[in-house]
Amino acid sequence: MPKFVLDGKEIEFEQGQTIIQAAKKNGITIPHFCWHESLSVSGNCRVCLVEIEKMPKLSIACATLAADGMVVYSASDKALSARNAVMEFELINHPLDCPICDEAGECKLQDYAYSHGAGESRFNEEKTHKDKRVPLGPLVMFDGDRCISCSRCIRFCDEIAKEPQLTFVKRGDRVTIVTYPGKQLDNPYSMNVTDICPVGALTSRDFRFKARVWELSKTKSVCNGCSRGCNINLEVRNNKVLRLTPRQNDEVNSFWMCDHGRVNTYKFINDENRVDGPYLRRGGTLVRSGWDEAFAAASSELKSYSKNEIAFIGSPYATCEDNYALTKFASSIIGTKHIDFMRHVDQTFGDNLLRKDDITPNSLGAEIVGVVPGKGGLNLEGIIKGIKDGNIKALYLIEDDLVEGNHELQEVFAKLDLFITHSTNFNKTTELADFVFPASTYAEKNGTIVNFEGRLQRLRPAVATFDVDRALEGMSLSRWDKFGTKFDSWAEGNKHDVRSTWRIIVGLSGAMGHKLKYGVAEEVFWDIAKNVSSFSGLDYGKVGELGAKLKLELNTKTVTA
Amino acid sequence: MALKRREKDLTFLEKIYIPEIVKGLSLTLKNMFKPKFTMQYPEEKFIPPASYRGRPVLVMEENGVERCVACGLCSRVCPPLAIEVQAAETENEKERYPVKFEINMLRCIFCGLCEEVCPEEAIVMSKDYELAFTNRKDALYGKDKLLTPVMQLQDRIDFLRNYK
Amino acid sequence: MDILQIIIFTIIKILIIVTIILLSVSYLVYFERKISAWAQNRIGPNRVGWAGALQPFADVLKLLLKEDIVPEVANKPIHTLAPVIALFVAFTTYAVIPFGPNINIFGFSVPLVVADVNIGILYILALTSLGVYAITLAGWSSGSKYSLLGGIRSSAQMISYEISMGFSVGGVLLLAQSLRPVDIVQAQSGWMWNAILQPIGFITFLVSAFAETNRLPFDLPEAEPELVGGFHTEYSSMKFAAFFLAEYANMFIASALIVTLYLGGWQFPYLDHFGLSAGWFAAISVAAFAVKVAALLFFFIWVRWSIPRFRYDQLMSLGWKVMFPLSLINIVWVAVLIMVFKI
Repeated sequence: MPKFVLDGKEIEFEQGQTIIQAAKKNGITIPHFCWHESLSVSGNCRVCLVEIEKMPKLSIACATLAADGMVVYSASDKALSARNAVMEFELINHPLDCPICDEAGECKLQDYAYSHGAGESRFNEEKTHKDKRVPLGPLVMFDGDRCISCSRCIRFCDEIAKEPQLTFVKRGDRVTIVTYPGKQLDNPYSMNVTDICPVGALTSRDFRFKARVWELSKTKSVCNGCSRGCNINLEVRNNKVLRLTPRQNDEVNSFWMCDHGRVNTYKFINDENRVDGPYLRRGGTLVRSGWDEAFAAASSELKSYSKNEIAFIGSPYATCEDNYALTKFASSIIGTKHIDFMRHVDQTFGDNLLRKDDITPNSLGAEIVGVVPGKGGLNLEGIIKGIKDGNIKALYLIEDDLVEGNHELQEVFAKLDLFITHSTNFNKTTELADFVFPASTYAEKNGTIVNFEGRLQRLRPAVATFDVDRALEGMSLSRWDKFGTKFDSWAEGNKHDVRSTWRIIVGLSGAMGHKLKYGVAEEVFWDIAKNVSSFSGLDYGKVGELGAKLKLELNTKTVTA
Repeated sequence: MALKRREKDLTFLEKIYIPEIVKGLSLTLKNMFKPKFTMQYPEEKFIPPASYRGRPVLVMEENGVERCVACGLCSRVCPPLAIEVQAAETENEKERYPVKFEINMLRCIFCGLCEEVCPEEAIVMSKDYELAFTNRKDALYGKDKLLTPVMQLQDRIDFLRNYK
Repeated sequence: MDILQIIIFTIIKILIIVTIILLSVSYLVYFERKISAWAQNRIGPNRVGWAGALQPFADVLKLLLKEDIVPEVANKPIHTLAPVIALFVAFTTYAVIPFGPNINIFGFSVPLVVADVNIGILYILALTSLGVYAITLAGWSSGSKYSLLGGIRSSAQMISYEISMGFSVGGVLLLAQSLRPVDIVQAQSGWMWNAILQPIGFITFLVSAFAETNRLPFDLPEAEPELVGGFHTEYSSMKFAAFFLAEYANMFIASALIVTLYLGGWQFPYLDHFGLSAGWFAAISVAAFAVKVAALLFFFIWVRWSIPRFRYDQLMSLGWKVMFPLSLINIVWVAVLIMVFKI
């Protein structure tokens, strides 16, 4: 392999790599604004200037191909003075409004000004003024003053989202970014420009001024918006999810995630209509009850039906652990074979980049762990027909709002004698249920989900509940989480009395007189790994932060789209 | 084990204690007749100098708007985490303002780091030292109690400009 | 005087003395606070009554209204008994201390001492040793390590200093040739005060008295920085007040004893040469006694606010290596006085 020397260290590289790429591969970051790993090279910010022996002038590391035997200095006096000069130049027209700017704390310009800047400005003249607070699209706000014209956002729209919507106009110090006439920044991936913008010129309108970024605790998780399973960070303050940001995973989503996932998949966690504590129907209305009381009532109700009168519906929204616990409950405690789950497919949702038509995160996982009808058992259609015919009298449904937008099912479920459901929020389905157990959302529990191509990925709790303690569970802690007490209004936020579905099932089977010996989610997973061949040999450690590919058996039906 | 000896041993006079004790006694006796420094507090009030760090307050401009832009630096720097800031958007030129600004006076240690870190000169230490509460809730000072007209704080602001 | 009259007079004297002790002890606390304030350029208590004159009553009222907390593991009877012993010892010691000459009331010659016992000094030494029990028992019965350490310290300290105290008194007894306090006072007529005749004995006795009363610089049994409150860590309310009272009463006793043994008791030098009437003579004598005791009490307080606490090893080495030999030397010196100077 060819080698070159960077700051006295020998670095191997592949033919065709630029200096900055080779350095990054070897863990050395050369300062840069406009260069991005998965975007084309623009070379306009000039902050990555390095000194190369036998070259008359400094070169930009992002556009200079590494060559065998090259000797590069990224921190020589010449390179540093050039970098300081570039920084001073960038800062000439950059406003000093970090206190107001949302990017503060994760701003490249701020970081480099701190490490390379002179500390004061020699520029006495009036700074240029451009348009501020320009909504470029429904989700992105533009501040012209702050823009350093690196063109990352333009290149992102052109190259990644493949929908050219942004461009530079004017020249020199008047250069600014606008959308093409008649267009706005509304592609389904538009908010990624707020991530790649090295300054606060492009900010999320959804997250605008909600919190400072250093106040957030970050938890590595997976987006539940579709079956792609983009890797994300859940960013939480005061026990509230405030934003989701994509987390790099080259096998799944690279650096990106779609706007739907970013904006629409976390709000129900903080919603007012969360089911808080178990509810049971008394005299036509749902009333709050204690856990033990609800378990006892539900188990005695379940016991009054014969096993073939009871059907189970799992959920492609629930984790593998939850679905597995449900199958175990159905088969070994109730003894029924009527179990299935409903797929949710939206043909208009998918595209060629990340989004998939299957808008549930774990339909493959539900299928693999066994939420499929047993021999002679009824499938979903059969169950619905059975309810209509009166053969199925009791239904146990987890974490799926089947009734929403489905009038037929509304009428069908109304016929049930007993309808138990686990739900995160109150919805049309809970309106019909006799028992509503409060389920944890994906941001409140440990668990695994399987994406459309069979990659098993971890969910980790980011929001504390009555059941999951932030410090005891080893959840990620911000400074405020660490030192808050119960007397501080900013420390524990709004905690809900909810449990993971598998925990609810453990409690219910206890009330039925059968013990499921699961203490933590990982114990359910061990059981899955023992009994489901695709999972064998896996544990949470092996799944890790980036997930693990399952050994899918050939006879497994591939999930549509 | 070698004993550690002090460099200068006591002289004989020092060893017999008595002259030293007499010296000590005469010092306290002298002090008994010196003028007293006690301030008869509720009747007589202490008017602190500009360098005094009393209760932190938010500066309110003459037009009734706070200077604070809710950057959260005071909250970040506060060693006992006394300050909670929640920002929101306004139509004003400074597009960000604190919709909630709360100082927990039970946590505050009057270190003045919030004032030192503030980029907008929006939070300063006032001369108010009379703080008493009978429950935890009363100790949470919101914007209603914190906003103070800039006129009343001019003394401290001048001091900061000269010495900070 | 028949026995009935003696009993009546004794009871009257006891009542007067107990009242005086209680009052002066409470004002002693007040003055302790005032003097400490002055030494620190402060004013001191000045809110309750004129210049804070009613402060002692406010203090007592406060202590009375406090909750009486007894630790779970305490030995309750002894925990209750200890402060009683402390108070008892403090008050009964006063019985043998003369505070004036004989006076004539209603035709009776009444000695101004509750009990004119001929072994009074022995009685005092015996009772003050009993005082250790109060502190040791308090420390032990509280069931707290701090209290226990305080109690143990106090017993060690008191036993050590009692020896030099006893030897110092020996010198006084040699000169007076009597164990009767009244005789000892009379032996110091004119300027023949024992403090002048045997200064070493005076100093050793004074220092030992500080140690015996647990006053700074020898208050190791309650050393706050190390032992929280020592033997009275686990005491509250009136039980604590009893210890508090006993400490100041002890101070009072110690002062009165020093006055009796070394500073001529109630005698005003050469007062009998002025030719005063018997009434004036008695009044001035009692006043002289009061002034002397007050001066010593001031000294006690003054020392407390000037001198820091000794370390425990320093305290013990001072007691055994310095005070004990010095008091022996004092005995020899008194012997020399008697044999050579024929006093």
